[in-house]
Amino acid sequence: MSRGGANRSGPARAALGIAGLLLFLCAWQAIGYYRLAGLSWPPLTDVIALLADPERWPLLGRALSATLAAMTAGYLLGIVLGLGAAVGAHMFPIAHPGTDRLAAVVNSIPSIALGPVFIVFLSRESTAAAIAAAHAAFIIYVAASSGLAAASRGHRDLLVVLGASRLSRLRHLDLPASLPSLSTGLKLAVPAALIGTIIGEWFGAPRGLGVLIVNAMQNFQIALLWSVVVLIASTSLALYSALSLLERACYARFA
Amino acid sequence: MNAIGRTAVAVLRNGWGILLLIIVWQAWVTAMNFNAIVMPRPLGVLQDLIGFPEVYWKNAVYTIGAAVIGLVLGMALGTGLAILAWLSDVLEGMLTPLTVLFSSVPVVTIIPIVARLLGYDFSTVLAIVVIICFFPAFVFTTSGLKALPAGADDLFRVLGARTPARLLRLALPAAVPNWSVALRVAAGHAVLGAMIAEYLMGTAGLGYLFAETKSDFNMERAFGATAVAMVVSILFFAAALAVERRVKERWN
Amino acid sequence: MTAAIHVDRARKTFDLGKGKSVEALAGVSLEVRPGEFVAIIGPSGCGKSTILRLIGSLEEPTAGTVTIDGRPPRELAGAHRLGVAFQDHALLPWLSVWQNVTLPLQVAGVKPDDAKIAALIRLVGLEGFEKARPRQLSGGMRQRAAIARALVLGPEVLLLDEPFAALDAVTRRYMNIELQRIWTESRITTLLVTHGVDEALFLADRIVVMSGRPGRIIENLDIDFPRPRMPALMRTPAFHALYDHLADLLEPAAAENEPVAGGGES
Repeated sequence: MSRGGANRSGPARAALGIAGLLLFLCAWQAIGYYRLAGLSWPPLTDVIALLADPERWPLLGRALSATLAAMTAGYLLGIVLGLGAAVGAHMFPIAHPGTDRLAAVVNSIPSIALGPVFIVFLSRESTAAAIAAAHAAFIIYVAASSGLAAASRGHRDLLVVLGASRLSRLRHLDLPASLPSLSTGLKLAVPAALIGTIIGEWFGAPRGLGVLIVNAMQNFQIALLWSVVVLIASTSLALYSALSLLERACYARFA
Repeated sequence: MNAIGRTAVAVLRNGWGILLLIIVWQAWVTAMNFNAIVMPRPLGVLQDLIGFPEVYWKNAVYTIGAAVIGLVLGMALGTGLAILAWLSDVLEGMLTPLTVLFSSVPVVTIIPIVARLLGYDFSTVLAIVVIICFFPAFVFTTSGLKALPAGADDLFRVLGARTPARLLRLALPAAVPNWSVALRVAAGHAVLGAMIAEYLMGTAGLGYLFAETKSDFNMERAFGATAVAMVVSILFFAAALAVERRVKERWN
Repeated sequence: MTAAIHVDRARKTFDLGKGKSVEALAGVSLEVRPGEFVAIIGPSGCGKSTILRLIGSLEEPTAGTVTIDGRPPRELAGAHRLGVAFQDHALLPWLSVWQNVTLPLQVAGVKPDDAKIAALIRLVGLEGFEKARPRQLSGGMRQRAAIARALVLGPEVLLLDEPFAALDAVTRRYMNIELQRIWTESRITTLLVTHGVDEALFLADRIVVMSGRPGRIIENLDIDFPRPRMPALMRTPAFHALYDHLADLLEPAAAENEPVAGGGES
């Protein structure tokens, strides 16, 4: 009777979630251990062993810090570009439809095609950050645009009646009202920027996790390949979770 | 005249950003006097597109095929699993954290793993598209199955509706708007995902064409492949957006 | 065909978590005879909706029993013999009026009788709107559709949970007149939960007045205005006398919660 709508208690839900996670990890281990998927699927324990091996840390650490640096630069640039475009379109409504179309088209450019362009205009080193910025900028733009339109009509009318200028309406109403939506965008932009960085690194960055992935793939270093992917996933998850907290705080305060 | 004028204004209003992008590109290439091997001009790309349509056409069909089949399979898998999770609280409890985990993971990074598992061919490209489309389908359908109209759940209970009736007449129809959002998101990613996969290990398709021509320094064709991929991707997205609009209209 | 409701010393406490709980009903007993129209009035949070939800099998009592013709409500719901209309019409937005009205039959696995559905839609005055979707209808028309849907199974018990609370005063009065006309034709055992004293007086054979938290019954009043009742009834001195009496009963709790005079808003 209670299908699809049951509210289990917190502990029961947590137990089920942990059970699911354990089941997933056990399946991973079993498939790898019994070679059910061939040699390309290592047991979980091999991956953990590699990640826990201090001799590997310098290699992984260098790659991780290179990727994080590129990603952070791209992410911040993406915020500036996306937020700037959204605020610009918000302040000058005549530019809005054109900005929307431009953003949609730029977003539909395959990221692998951005690589050669950025390599020409910029350099091999900064291509990863540039693609990350392009990915993040679009998500931030969409989130900020919808956020800036989120203020209620009543509030907007109130400020107009009070004689607020366009700029002070932006400052006192539209920007604060856009924060919840923007915080969601900031969260979603993290995996997107990371993907952009990795793809950018595939275009011949000197170091980074993306480079490590391609090398491991080509040299049949299966455990290393999986370890790097796990490392990327964990990084993404950690940053995503941290920004989820920010998002929650924003919703609690401004929504 | 008036109609033409209005159309021109509409094109300018909507397209000024894109026009600007192309003009800056052309001007930049002309001003810097780049060699076409390094950076082609928009006009050169256009010439290649018009001059050799069959090259683009064949590869586009391949990529579209992978994107469509992958989209259908991924949506079906995601929707099916969401329905199973709706039917079983235990399954739902076990899957929820896993999907949260996976949806924050950059899927593209597992392409090399999938390639190692499935080999360097169409099935890898397809598998990547399926995986990319699966997550939005599952996440949005799961929440859609619970986004019931106010009071509808109580109504069905008082009416003595059993699980099949609640699924077919309430939860599934209620999930359609969310499902159409998933379709839009997945459709946008399907083409780009297929293209990245083809670029890395494909044997045909627009991504493969891009990779091949780039390494031959045939940049005009590489950019042509990109342009075709963009058009296809935008068409996919626009079609899914049209579906979503119609659904929203009907579902209120 | 129509059933009796027995509520025997029913208690209901809701668990608020962290060891806290709130008592919504404190041992309420209520008898509704077959074919009787009973209205429950009381201030917000007096548990009147909880009684209705107990009878509708939407909640289980913490203590005491609730039966319809001697059986638990769940059985009647399972046999598709309850009709219900809520404050928010709960029409499915993706279905037309016709499809919404036939929904209970489909849930029950009964083949819809087109002539009967058409007659029911005529009865609630929605003829010509069969193909319309809920969002194309006014608030009053949505509630008419919801009432047609409540009646389509030929239910043994009709449960109405403030069905007109979201309507404006004029539409609401009009809907009361319509409901009384419809009910006079079917004479189903009906339980109406409402804020509106005039609504209850105009429609019910008996009015049960409840007091606030925890909910208990403080008055059980037979209303023996002859049927069919006409709108003019609402202007008679007898109606006004009963109205004032009931309004006084609601006064202490109502004063801080909501205006009761003049029909009261939701």
